[in-house]
Amino acid sequence: GVPRLVEWHKQRATSGFAAPSSPNQSECSHLQKLHRGSSFSSPVVEHVSSSSSSSLKTKTSIEPKGKHGTGALDVASAMSPAACSHVNGFKVDNWKQNLRVIYRCFVWSGSAETRKRKAKSCVCHVCGAHLSRLHSCLYCVFFGCFAKKHIHEHAKSKRHNLAIDLLYGGIYCFVCQDYIYDKDMEQIAKEEQRKAWKLQGTSHLFAPAGIGERYSTWEPTKRELELLQHNPKRRRITTNCTIGLRGLINLGNTCFMNCIVQALTHTPLLRDFFLSDRHKCEMKPNSCLVCEMSQLFQEFYSGHRSPHIPFRLLHLVWTHARHLAGYEQQDAHEFLIAALDVLHRHCKGDDNGKKANNPNHCNCIIDQIFTGGLQSDVTCQVCHGVSTTIDPFWDISLDLPGSSTPFWPLSPGSDGSVVNGESQMSGATTLTDCLRRFTRPEHLGSSAKIKCSGCHSYQESTKQLTMKKLPIVACFHLKRFEHSAKLRRKITTYVSFPLELDMTPFMASSKESRMNGQYQQSMDTLNNDNKYSLFAVVNHQGTLESGHYTTFIRQHKDQWFKCDDAIITKASIKDVLDSEGYLLFYHKQFLEYE
Amino acid sequence: MKMEAMSLSGLDNTKLEALAHDIYSDLVEDACLGLCFEVHRAVKQGYFFLDETDQDSMKDFEIVDQPGVDIFGQVYNQWKNKECVCPNCSRSIAASRFAPHLEKCLGMGRNSSRIANRRIASSNNMSKSESDQEDNDDINDNDWSYGSEKKAKKRKSDKVFLRSLKQPVLLNPNSPRRSKSLKHKNGELNNNVNTDPYKYNYNSGISYETLGPEELRSLLTTQCGVISEHTKKMCTRSLRCPQHTDEQRRTVRVFLPGPSASTLPDVDAVVESDGYDVSDGQALMNRLQWDGSSDISPSDSASSKASTNNSDSKKPKKKKKPSLGLSSSGTGGTGGGTGGGPGTAGSGSSSQGVLSLPSRKKKPKLPAPPTPSIYDDMN
Repeated sequence: GVPRLVEWHKQRATSGFAAPSSPNQSECSHLQKLHRGSSFSSPVVEHVSSSSSSSLKTKTSIEPKGKHGTGALDVASAMSPAACSHVNGFKVDNWKQNLRVIYRCFVWSGSAETRKRKAKSCVCHVCGAHLSRLHSCLYCVFFGCFAKKHIHEHAKSKRHNLAIDLLYGGIYCFVCQDYIYDKDMEQIAKEEQRKAWKLQGTSHLFAPAGIGERYSTWEPTKRELELLQHNPKRRRITTNCTIGLRGLINLGNTCFMNCIVQALTHTPLLRDFFLSDRHKCEMKPNSCLVCEMSQLFQEFYSGHRSPHIPFRLLHLVWTHARHLAGYEQQDAHEFLIAALDVLHRHCKGDDNGKKANNPNHCNCIIDQIFTGGLQSDVTCQVCHGVSTTIDPFWDISLDLPGSSTPFWPLSPGSDGSVVNGESQMSGATTLTDCLRRFTRPEHLGSSAKIKCSGCHSYQESTKQLTMKKLPIVACFHLKRFEHSAKLRRKITTYVSFPLELDMTPFMASSKESRMNGQYQQSMDTLNNDNKYSLFAVVNHQGTLESGHYTTFIRQHKDQWFKCDDAIITKASIKDVLDSEGYLLFYHKQFLEYE
Repeated sequence: MKMEAMSLSGLDNTKLEALAHDIYSDLVEDACLGLCFEVHRAVKQGYFFLDETDQDSMKDFEIVDQPGVDIFGQVYNQWKNKECVCPNCSRSIAASRFAPHLEKCLGMGRNSSRIANRRIASSNNMSKSESDQEDNDDINDNDWSYGSEKKAKKRKSDKVFLRSLKQPVLLNPNSPRRSKSLKHKNGELNNNVNTDPYKYNYNSGISYETLGPEELRSLLTTQCGVISEHTKKMCTRSLRCPQHTDEQRRTVRVFLPGPSASTLPDVDAVVESDGYDVSDGQALMNRLQWDGSSDISPSDSASSKASTNNSDSKKPKKKKKPSLGLSSSGTGGTGGGTGGGPGTAGSGSSSQGVLSLPSRKKKPKLPAPPTPSIYDDMN
């Protein structure tokens, strides 16, 4: 990669083109940046192959591709090609403050009052219109519409050659006859816009905090632009692209680790976090698992086809999670919890200072994504007083029918009510059945009396678990491996799990509304808070003594792939839903601001 | 189109619809304008070209969906010779053997303490020429990549040959004369700290000739003891060492210790006591020439009962099936039980036991020998 690039630049220099400094490889790897995307849309990643770009050596010259912007690219870099010299006449005296006022009052309206004021006062001084691309003169108080050229007339007659578009804040230069982009002026525009966003939501209708940061798309810096220009073999990650998928070598019974790595590298939020370089390390070099995770994402998005050898990852996990004690400990679920724990511990540098809002009271990316709150209500049978605790969890372990503890009936006197489109009466056990059992009220029995603070004595009680706060990624662990005193076996009962899951019935809030007499038999389809989509399934094939883990992962919204150590193959949704299922990973469908 | 505040209450449906439509089309037009500005800015700032991609290289990365190949179009199972460098010891290890190597390298896992103890004991009693007490497990573990393994084996055989020439063949177990070479006994002798615990040695075991009867017996209670035809030394692996059969172990215990020695305690708990006379050294030597070579395949026992015993030695010969460690809650009383929460992650889920299981089929575990009773009548 790099040596070839250097050669090529030398060639260019001799042929008369300007030769900028050669980009180095570390810069290239950081160009795998994410600059758009919701949960399952393909990340628009500018992918640059940093090595094995074999065609570079055959290129002798480079032309800026595309019809647009050719002129702009040729302009000397002394001044940004997008600016014009005509703004210099404006940038005198107190121009910054004046500009701020214009943005604040007439362009970005943050509160209801400013919106009203803008609507009332911003009309064309010539024709009274307010919707035909209104512009404000930058030199005097004049509003004119663009569509009917009233602002143009004003500019010509008054020689005021700058105006601002009141809808999007763009600056128009009448001499250049085009919108221009001046660095200083854009800086002011951005700051005012941010302030206005913060104001939004401070009315009594909303929570005190603002909506938050306005999302701005990624813009390359000058340096990055150069690098990208000199590396024309750019690829977009489309739905038919292998980038982001990679096999993992089995290091000796390490499929339990490989399957978890595949699930984590295909967790959209984690991918976004690491591909945008959010981790700031505070640990010694080569000892941080989060750094290694970051490196793992780079490997997965490198475009390499040969499987990756995760030996450093194994070394780090064992070093930091000694209780895993050797490669004989091989439960994938246990590895997941240990890995999340080590990652969480190593994330200390990433605390961005915001108040932690999850039950684990931590703001690291692991807790933001994986931590949920499990509410446990213990109700005294005598005085009906309820004692509530909320515990953090990273996963939910569900009992299955076929184990030594009885599964059915889910609760005394339960009916065959339909939840999530599946009824109890049909054949296969469903994930929803397991969740209903998990959240059923359970009588604790006379041998387990709880001290009731209301009655001041030990009383019988019932206990019920519900979800207080759902994590962004919910991991369900089907307890297939039974280790009671009498027997050890694998429970292979088929449990059907859905592609889309609504967790609303299992929420603490639903339970409260049920108890308050508001029965919600129909799902509130407009409430999207609790809707989840399946994105990874870890399966175990084999017996208790010897088995093998594989993972199905979802990429590009509706494509599924089977990850079997080093072998990645395409899979159908049917393959996934028919599989036995051991660990099920669901991702919240709609992400909202806090 | 002058704007004024207007009340909606007096309007009928058609007017309301018209208003709504107006607002809607305004919004759509504004959105389109926004897009135009985005493109315009991208062009002027010079990053519009980023939208373009190289078609040829895009084709390189298309997903392949055909039988027999993975999504990259590669044939399965061609990744046998991958290697990596151990971060702990900086040696080059075959990737598929990295995990067991790392386990020993880090001193974790079930065998490591035994191995470390043995090393501690051996390194204290070794002279320089004999400083290579081998960890027998490692030779067969193929930890080393192929090249260095060959070298290692070669060196080992050289040393052994020299050693057997040097030492007198003493068949009288009661002889006071002992070579210094001897004494590792699984850490029974000394607890001095080993200065170099991870040095891999190439010795071949214990010279049985130089052992006293008691030493021999106690050795045989903890070690395999089968005498290698090649090196004439006793195997120092565990009692369940898969390189030798129980039959061999039984025979050693019959022939070596003396008359009323019992055999190796085995599954059937058969105690054989032959009245055997150690009279003829040569005869002994002859008897101890095994026909069977010392490289019997270990992983062919039919029994595969899951065992929670951590003392199994692991011998990979064939391609290993990844094994399964299991954890599960045996308690049904706590409504379902959550998985290991963040606070309790260190110990796994609160109700989960952690289990280690060998992946390969294992011979049944042997019960512990009833030590005192066997050797009471000796001496």
